[in-house]
Amino acid sequence: MRFQLISCEVLFREMCDAVAHSPHQVDVQFLSKGLHDLGGKAMRVELQKRIDAAVGCDAVLMGYALCGNGLHGLEARTVPLVAPRAHDCIALLMGSREIYAEYFDANPGTYFRSTGWLERGKGLQQLSMGKNPIGTTLSELVERYGEENGRYLFEEFTRYQQHYRQLTYIESGLEPDGRFEAQAAAEAAERGWQFSKVRGNLDWLRRLVNGDWPEHDFLVVPPGGRMAASFDEQIIHIEGSMS
Amino acid sequence: MADLETLRQAIIDGDAKTAGAVAREAVAAEMDALTVIQQYMVPAMDEVGRRYECEEFFVPELLLSARAMKAALEPIRPLLAASGAKPAGKVVIGTVKGDLHDIGKNLVASLLEGGGFEVIDLGADVSPQKFIDAVQSTGANIVALSALLTVTMPSIKMTIEALKAAGVRDKVKVMVGGAPLTQQFADQVGADAYSENATAAVTAARRLVAAG
Repeated sequence: MRFQLISCEVLFREMCDAVAHSPHQVDVQFLSKGLHDLGGKAMRVELQKRIDAAVGCDAVLMGYALCGNGLHGLEARTVPLVAPRAHDCIALLMGSREIYAEYFDANPGTYFRSTGWLERGKGLQQLSMGKNPIGTTLSELVERYGEENGRYLFEEFTRYQQHYRQLTYIESGLEPDGRFEAQAAAEAAERGWQFSKVRGNLDWLRRLVNGDWPEHDFLVVPPGGRMAASFDEQIIHIEGSMS
Repeated sequence: MADLETLRQAIIDGDAKTAGAVAREAVAAEMDALTVIQQYMVPAMDEVGRRYECEEFFVPELLLSARAMKAALEPIRPLLAASGAKPAGKVVIGTVKGDLHDIGKNLVASLLEGGGFEVIDLGADVSPQKFIDAVQSTGANIVALSALLTVTMPSIKMTIEALKAAGVRDKVKVMVGGAPLTQQFADQVGADAYSENATAAVTAARRLVAAG
């Protein structure tokens, strides 16, 4: 079979590995991590364009989680559209939404890092054209809004970080050496957070590109169907149906 | 004499210093507090909301205007209280349990204050019990729940159910918001209102109060 994978670049290394080992022919497009910062609606519009352009394949695979409802409303055109039932890429990297949910509950106030989170998507703030202030530096804000207002905005935009206590590096096992972990540990130290590491599991991503899509972990939208957020354990479902 | 047109403009421009200064002048000149608020300050915030809706303003501008509004309200508020003017409504607001994101919630809180509401901000990662306690102790008529993650959206549902179980659901209107939320979700969890953005939240709160 031939698949077209549309994936967030935050999963770059993991997806490349999965695709290399897939029994199928998988064409890959990586999209900017900044898409996520545009918000659910804008992200959906861009993803739909890519889905519409995907022709000559047996299925379109989404290398995305629900991601703030970025998948809500996506339509399958002439071939099935497949997406993992996950809230975000952290669940995908951990390999199971149950493991992620347990970790999330047991470790409140945790920031996550992975190779993609560390090396991808930098300098992409221009995508949001100033609409999304997250990640804007103090000097950028001061330049644009003046000293006093700029400092105030910076405080407002970074205050949420005070609630965080821990930074967890999700190790994929594909790393060339300890550089990513060291970088994550340094970031934790800089922010005064506890550093932790968990071993991820690439099985979920591998199954996506291997065409192994059990109902529990994947939603397969038939041609003409539309994907919707279901706000329950299923995370996503086909609009107009309960599955 | 305080130049109220300057006050209006300062709020739109997000100039807290000027807004506060002109408001203090207005207080010193014994201007009618309600007139100053209703004819200059609230319309200024409405204009800010309009510009946000048509994407002339973005979140930073909203935050700066809300701060300027706050700076102007500060000296005027004691006069308002003395005159017996009541707030537009009392809102208990917070980001639900498990969710630490508070920029959107803070913005809504500021805009509600600017819109004449009394706001009790419980912060982020707020348990259902804290919401219940706050409603009971303050007699609030609106509870505003926020979540930024789809993972924590179930906490909104849990909080509303907890309000029901505690017997306070009927005493308040519940409004919900946050980037991943939709009207459909709001209906599903039995919220009274949903708003897509911070300025719409103020409109929604006014409507809820009007509807009693």
